[in-house]
Amino acid sequence: MQEKNANASNFEQCLKCSICTAVCPMMEANPHYPGPKQAGPDGERYRIKDPAFYDLTLKYCLNCKRCEVSCPSGVRIGDIIQSARLKYGRSSNPVRDYMLASTDLVGSLASPFAPVVNRVLGMKPVKAVMDGVMGVDSRRTFPAYSGRRFEQWFRSEAACRQLGFRRFISYFHGCYVNYNYPQLGKDLVKLVNACGYGVHLLDREKCCGVALISNGFGNQARKQAETNLKSFRTAVANGETVLTSSSTCTFTMRDEYSNVLGLDNSDVRDSLLLATKWLYDHIENGSIRIAFRKDYHKRIVYHTACHMNKLGWAIYTTSLLRMIPGVELKVIEQKCCGIAGTFGFKKENYPYSQKIGSELFEALRVANPEVVVTECETCKWQIEMSACLPVMNPISILAEAIDEKETIKLNIR
Amino acid sequence: MRFDVIIIGGGRAGTEIGAALQKSGINCLIVAEGLSINPSKRTEFAACGGTLLPGDSVVGGGFDGAVLKNVRTENLVGTVLEADFFVLATGKFFSGGLASTMDGIYEPVFGCDVQYEPDREKWVNPDFYADQPFERFGVVTDDYGRVSVNGVTIDNLYAAGEILAGAVDIDGSAALVTTQIMRRK
Repeated sequence: MQEKNANASNFEQCLKCSICTAVCPMMEANPHYPGPKQAGPDGERYRIKDPAFYDLTLKYCLNCKRCEVSCPSGVRIGDIIQSARLKYGRSSNPVRDYMLASTDLVGSLASPFAPVVNRVLGMKPVKAVMDGVMGVDSRRTFPAYSGRRFEQWFRSEAACRQLGFRRFISYFHGCYVNYNYPQLGKDLVKLVNACGYGVHLLDREKCCGVALISNGFGNQARKQAETNLKSFRTAVANGETVLTSSSTCTFTMRDEYSNVLGLDNSDVRDSLLLATKWLYDHIENGSIRIAFRKDYHKRIVYHTACHMNKLGWAIYTTSLLRMIPGVELKVIEQKCCGIAGTFGFKKENYPYSQKIGSELFEALRVANPEVVVTECETCKWQIEMSACLPVMNPISILAEAIDEKETIKLNIR
Repeated sequence: MRFDVIIIGGGRAGTEIGAALQKSGINCLIVAEGLSINPSKRTEFAACGGTLLPGDSVVGGGFDGAVLKNVRTENLVGTVLEADFFVLATGKFFSGGLASTMDGIYEPVFGCDVQYEPDREKWVNPDFYADQPFERFGVVTDDYGRVSVNGVTIDNLYAAGEILAGAVDIDGSAALVTTQIMRRK
């Protein structure tokens, strides 16, 4: 159907049914946002005529892709909006936006001084200055930086252990694991090792670029994407699948690289998988076997992050969680948490962010689990802050629930 | 991945059938492609433990003679979805349940037998407000609600809702398929 369309962004397939407008979380919270139909396919035909038709309120798009998931005509509404923002958008606060988007730069500067940085960033006067001068909302707390980066831990403590394996995967850890939360990376290494696979890091890894794309820094995003694609190609040439633990990084590298940045990733796209999908596929075909601890108990609610919903892979995670004997799992209806990466950190967006997330927070409070499970790190910050519940990645749950010794025995080849 | 029943289409018929079966303990998957005009029924289905694949589409099925064994979807690359029974509830032209070429109407997922007027001139009535003949085109089923492919009835593939030929009774067709599956399960 889409091949017939002469225009690459396929906006002509839109039949104006408006179902996207009905599912758009921003539309509900903010009357100034024109909604996905008007911002996307409707606006596109005007922008092609004259860029002066570009509407500044497009900055409110969360890029949650719920519009695309609901579209019965296969219009890439979110991609059209993202591409328009990259092409015509102008930031009202470029310094702040660049700081928020440059996760690698800020992470490498902050992590050697993590204890100081964490304390300073948490101080009320500092927050007030950031709020007033930078436009970063004072009610937000930045995720704490880790003093030791994941890459440093891996090289000094895990790399030598990998020599004993004959089969390998490559791990794209992402900024959050590297600078803020190395424990998730350690959990992935533990899990994958127990399953009989060694872990390699990529030759060079840059931030996937999602924050650069959403803040309008297309050229830099493209540069970083090319570095990553080059590393993926090397890994795939060595017969290794590239695994990730973050849904948004995965979605960005599989779909946004080609659809928004215009890069060809078709040769590596199928080898770029969330670790949960990879693990499920291997358990299903019998090539990996897992033994779970008998004394493990957890009441879990699974929250489907918006980009996870777009990938359509939540079913792999929930199937894995259901395999754990002591887990009581409830899957709640997909709702946007409202933070949308760097969006919710910006002062002018904070009220919308919290309004959008309020339904989810309420649903989570009612469900009252021991832990909320989701693949998205920014959903994690938002839920921990706004619903006051602990949030874990499914990889950490699995790493905690496996009987490591038994699993290693089961997977010796 | 294995389910008792896989329903293709998350509209009114698909979610009605899914919610009714799931409530009686039959494990269902709904591949919710196409337009959802009743999200509350989807919520109800998910709340009683049903699995939804929103925004995904079935790209083909594996048949063993007159029995459908499994389907594959666009998003779940490399995963085979197996079930005892399948329901096709993908709607008519707008939601992609039926498609047309210059000289014919077809059902794109499995190539089920379709009833339509062969003379293209007679597909539409020039009076815009009159009954449109193409609205009666659709998939043909036997007395039990099962579809056929190339004249052969598929033993475990049912159709319900807008996709059916003739004057469509969405709730009636959904009830028929639900009862048939419950009786055989």
